[in-house]
Amino acid sequence: MLDSFRALLPRLSPKQLIVISGLGAVLGGGAIAPVILLIVLGAMGGTITGPPEQPIAFDHSVHVGKAGIACEFCHRGIPVVGDTQTAMSAPVSAAATIPSVEQCMFCHAVVATNSPEVQKIRAAWETGTPIDWVRVHRLPDHVDFVHDPHIRALAEIHPSFTTAQICATCHGDVASMTEVEQVRALNMGDCQGCHRENSAPLDCAVCHK
Amino acid sequence: MASATDTAELPVVAAAATLPTDDPHPETDGHRWGMVIDGDKCTGCQACVVACQSENNLALNEENRVIERRAKTWIRIERYWEGEWPNAKARFLPVLCQHCGNAPCETVCPVWATYHNPDGLNVQVYNRCIGTRFCANACPYSVRYFNFWEPEWPSPMDRQLNPDVTVRTKGIVEKCTFCIHRINRTKRQADRDGRPVADGEVEPACVQACPTTALVFGDLNDSESKVSELSHSKRAYSLLDALGTAPAITYLKKVDPSHVDEHEEHGH
Repeated sequence: MLDSFRALLPRLSPKQLIVISGLGAVLGGGAIAPVILLIVLGAMGGTITGPPEQPIAFDHSVHVGKAGIACEFCHRGIPVVGDTQTAMSAPVSAAATIPSVEQCMFCHAVVATNSPEVQKIRAAWETGTPIDWVRVHRLPDHVDFVHDPHIRALAEIHPSFTTAQICATCHGDVASMTEVEQVRALNMGDCQGCHRENSAPLDCAVCHK
Repeated sequence: MASATDTAELPVVAAAATLPTDDPHPETDGHRWGMVIDGDKCTGCQACVVACQSENNLALNEENRVIERRAKTWIRIERYWEGEWPNAKARFLPVLCQHCGNAPCETVCPVWATYHNPDGLNVQVYNRCIGTRFCANACPYSVRYFNFWEPEWPSPMDRQLNPDVTVRTKGIVEKCTFCIHRINRTKRQADRDGRPVADGEVEPACVQACPTTALVFGDLNDSESKVSELSHSKRAYSLLDALGTAPAITYLKKVDPSHVDEHEEHGH
C-alpha cells in the first residue's frame, strides 16, 4: 500500500530534497507572517489611530473642562438626561451630530474674537462654507447605533451620573482632551461585553442592520 | 457495557430540550410579527415592489439580470391566469420572505448567518454570510437572493440610499427583513415614550405603499391586532402549507363573484 503510494511521488535526490524543503520553509514562513501580523493586529483590536488633524484646532478641554459647557449644548442630537422633551433636544437623532457653524457663532460672535482659530470660524460663517470636521467616531455601515437608548440605559444604571459622565463611558474623558480621539475599541466585542454586563439585548438584529 | 452506576452519573437531559427550530411558535413575552395579504384586494399594481426596492437599497434590475434570473426583488407579484380567453382571470400573489416559524433556510446555514430572533423574524446577518447559497436553495418560496455583483446605481440614484439599511456587498445572500429598521425604530420610540407598540404602528414599506390595504402588518401575539383577526378568517391559507414551514404570512383567498352563489360562506 505504502509502496504503491510512493510510486506516485517523484523520485528525488537528497540534494533536491534539501533545496525543496528549504524553499518550502521560506515560502511557508512568508505565508505565515501575514497571518501572525493579522492575529497581532486583531488582538490590538479596533481602529484606534490617535487624534485626527482637524481643520480648526477646537479644544474640548477649554469648552468642556474650563467653560463647563454640557455635551448636549453643542451635540444637539443627543437627549438630555431626565428631560426628554426640551426644545434643546427635541429632534432626537441616531447620531449626536456635529454643531453647525451658526452654533459656534452664538458665543464666538463676542467671545475670543481675536483668536486666529475663532477667526477661521468667523470666515466660514461670513462666506457660508461649512467646516470640514474630521469624524473621530465612526461605526461601520452595517451597525445601527442610536444614542438615545444607550444614554437612557446608562442614566438608569448610574442614577448619579451627569450627561458628561454618561458620554464618557464610551467617549472617554473628553473634558481633558485637547484633541479628541477614540479611546475605546468600539468593535463588536466591546459592544457585546457591555451588553452582557448590563443584560442588554444580544440579538443580532438589535444592532446589525 | 455500562453498568447501572455509570448511567446514574450521566447528566440528566431534559426531555423538553429541543432544537430552537423545533417549536414554530416559541412562547415569548414579546412580539411575533406577521402579515396578512388579502388576495381579494391585491390589484397587482407593483407599488409594494417599488416601495421595497427604494426602501431597502436594492439595485435596479436591468433586463439582462431578469433574463438571467438573477434579479433581486425582495417582494414580487406572481401573476397567474385562470381560465381561457376571453374568460381569463388574472390572479395576483405577492410573495416575500414568509418568515417561517420552521424555516428551512435557518437549519442549512453553516455559519448561523440566518436565525430566528425573539420577535419571530427570520433574520439575515450579512456580515456572517459567506455566500454558500444553501439557504437560497432550501427556501421553498425562492425569496432569498444572492448578490452576484456589487450593487450600482446610476447617478443621482446613488444619493437617495436609505441610511437605515446597509448596502449589501457582492457574494452574500439577502432577503426581506419585514423592514426591521422600521420595527426597531418604532420599538425605540415606544420605549422612549414608556408605552407598548400600538397595533398598526409598525408599517413595512410594502404595507405603507399598498393603495388597497391588501397588505396588513402587525403582532400575531396580540390577539386583538388586525393581523390576528384577519389570520383567523375563513379565507385564510398559507403558501405551500403542506411543507409545514409555519409561515408568518397568511394569505386570504380571492372572493370570486361568480362563485359566491355556489358557496354561501365566502367569509367576507
